[in-house]
Amino acid sequence: MKGFWHIRELSTVAILVLEVIFFGWYLWPDGNRDHPFLNLENALLILKYSSIYGIAAVGAAVVIISGGIDLAPGSIIALASVVCGVLFVDAGWGLGPSMLAALAAGLGAGGVSSLLIVAVKLPPFIATLGVMGITRGLAFIVTEGRYFDLSSKLAGGWRPLGLPADWVAPLVMVGLAIVFQVLMTRFQWGRQIFSIGGNETAALFSGVAVGRIKTSVYLLSGLLAAAAGVVLALVQGQGKADLATGYELDIIASAVVGGASLSGGRGSVMGAVLGTLIFGVLRNALPQIPGATFYDRLIVGLAVIVIVVLDQVLLKRGE
Amino acid sequence: MAALSTMPGLEFIAVRKSFGAVKALTGVTFAVREGEAHALVGENGAGKSTLLKILAGIVRPDAGELRWNDARLSLGSPREALERGIGMVYQEMLSFPNLSVTGNIFAGRELIGAGGRLRERAMESRTVAILDELHLNIAPSATAETLPAAHRQLLQVARALAFECRILVLDEPTTALTDAEADHLFAVLDRLKARGVTLLYVSHRLPEVFRLCDRVTVLRDGGFAGTYDTKDVPPERIVRAMVGRDLPPRAEHAARATQGAPALAVKGLTRRPAFRHVSLTVAPGEIVGLFGLVGSGRSELLETIFGLRAPDTGTIHAGGRLLTLRSPRQAAREGIALVPEERHRQGLFFNLSVHDNLVMPARTVAGDILIRGAQERDASRRLLSDWRIKAGSPRAMPDSLSGGNQQKVVLAKWLATGPRILMLDEPTKGVDVGAKFEIHEIIRRQAAQGLGCLVASSDLPEVLALCHRVVVMREGRIQGELRGEAADEESVMHLATSELKDAS
Repeated sequence: MKGFWHIRELSTVAILVLEVIFFGWYLWPDGNRDHPFLNLENALLILKYSSIYGIAAVGAAVVIISGGIDLAPGSIIALASVVCGVLFVDAGWGLGPSMLAALAAGLGAGGVSSLLIVAVKLPPFIATLGVMGITRGLAFIVTEGRYFDLSSKLAGGWRPLGLPADWVAPLVMVGLAIVFQVLMTRFQWGRQIFSIGGNETAALFSGVAVGRIKTSVYLLSGLLAAAAGVVLALVQGQGKADLATGYELDIIASAVVGGASLSGGRGSVMGAVLGTLIFGVLRNALPQIPGATFYDRLIVGLAVIVIVVLDQVLLKRGE
Repeated sequence: MAALSTMPGLEFIAVRKSFGAVKALTGVTFAVREGEAHALVGENGAGKSTLLKILAGIVRPDAGELRWNDARLSLGSPREALERGIGMVYQEMLSFPNLSVTGNIFAGRELIGAGGRLRERAMESRTVAILDELHLNIAPSATAETLPAAHRQLLQVARALAFECRILVLDEPTTALTDAEADHLFAVLDRLKARGVTLLYVSHRLPEVFRLCDRVTVLRDGGFAGTYDTKDVPPERIVRAMVGRDLPPRAEHAARATQGAPALAVKGLTRRPAFRHVSLTVAPGEIVGLFGLVGSGRSELLETIFGLRAPDTGTIHAGGRLLTLRSPRQAAREGIALVPEERHRQGLFFNLSVHDNLVMPARTVAGDILIRGAQERDASRRLLSDWRIKAGSPRAMPDSLSGGNQQKVVLAKWLATGPRILMLDEPTKGVDVGAKFEIHEIIRRQAAQGLGCLVASSDLPEVLALCHRVVVMREGRIQGELRGEAADEESVMHLATSELKDAS
């Protein structure tokens, strides 16, 4: 089995490093001006925004390794931001309880997905496509077109434990990545997720509690997507129903770039989080290149294909 | 052999199971004594697999019960069956391609410490011990997908060994094994038996049954058809019990005079690393056997001739014409047909009806764009009756057919294209004796009408019974050729296993 720091993640790290070196060189300023890309503030910015994707990608990677797919994270992120916003801003709840309620909403959405997949036996794609629509719809119903301004109520920004949000969100992401990397590689729960993704029938015949484990996987994905939504609400200071549209595909792409196979049984949590950083750097650096603004979606799309193809070529060489 | 215990052992009592309208088991009662090796045989569709699924806790019987040493066995899930000490070695490759050898052996029953933490080191040392016991020279950390099929199959035995099981159930465990590997497996099973493990052994291969088992139970059409002592029953009795009738004696080898251009001539065909410098010819009306063990490059050779893979070097002539094939579609149009090894994966469309399956290649070869309904309906009806395929109707789905009839569908759909060369890869793999015989008859009859046949098989008796000439492959090379009477078990096996000759 894979070790904690598998060779596969190293290649993702290599891509990330090369990417940073490239943009560092390309965006090198003339004269004595500050570097627009290589500075601490910008690094924190990249980490802060990537953590929204990264936290959800932890759950997405686990789902994909189990042989499933979850299309709901984007909508759950929006729903969570809205729930957090309506309770904190409108209903006057405390920030803590509002956040917990948002997480519960994500857990509920994940619960519906797992119920549809495990009990009704719908294919995960269909089940989560439905849940994606339902959660997005609920977010619109809750907001009725409004948006909730959390930032004005959070004087001086959100500072849990006295730390600035810019630090907390990335720390949460890194913490989750490490915890779930260990759970996936060193614990029975993770091993059985790999076995289900490798051969679900065999897992069932081997006495793996397939239903229970798949339930836990989709619950986790819902919960972590909601956590990403809470982070988004606090980082951007708003709760809105049309936030994070299309994020689910970016998150899946990150997991794939990080080594996950959509046919299941392969991938890593750490790789998926690194994948979100690769895209985070792209999204941050491309707008700084004059004239590149309109190209960024195109380049992100190409990057997915190039990285995955490169990876396959390298894997074949390695054999 | 030790005296058999008088304990009742494992009993099946009036076990019944229906799937919809299909009665899989119609009340089966028999007993397996504790500590014996008991074979379970029967044609496909006789109910063996349903019985095994009940024993594995995957399927629950509608009526009847299972008892183990006079106590009722209730098996609600695969996990429960495992906990009761029932180990299964499945026919299908139920391995985890993405997990290591250790991961595979312990899947579902990982050794864990506090909080579900995997005890990797303990599992690995246990794995080393089990692999040692099986004389398997593989690394515990190798992923299953990198192992040859035979090793993946033996992994399943290793799985069963890792947990002290009292009953070990094996479902066609030798399908993917060479004779040497099968002998190896039998040695292991003998040792397990000596240790007191009860074996329930399901196989189509009667020699194995007689080699390994003390008693044999025959199932027919979902019912019990008898239990026999292997010591005092001839194999023919078992076959009769399975089929319910006598099989006609084997057809004699017809010596064939070969004249004119060969139907197929392959010269110096190479595709590394699968095979090198392969030259062979098949005359019209000739049945040529291509014998070799798993991994000898047979399937790759057939697939290359069929245009599925491109050769590195070498030529393929059919009917005297040089062919450069880029796709199976082109090969089919040149009159080359391939009945592939795995009918589930390569032979049939399980989402389409038997009718659609039957007319598909002929339609491809004719290059029709429109579907000619009436004409095709007639064609598929004719094929079903010509080849005596037992299907409810042309609209039936393939998975409602027995394995033998599925294989006949694959055969019939290719014969419908009117090929000049018919290649068959393990044509009777996983097929019962009755259907095997019929498939052999079809091949013989077609050859008699001038079709050139190339039959790849690792089933030596089949090759000897069917073929006019046997070409032996080993590790991607032609080892030699034996004609008619010169080919017997010994000479063929000698060629198949002897060291490589100097590069040709």
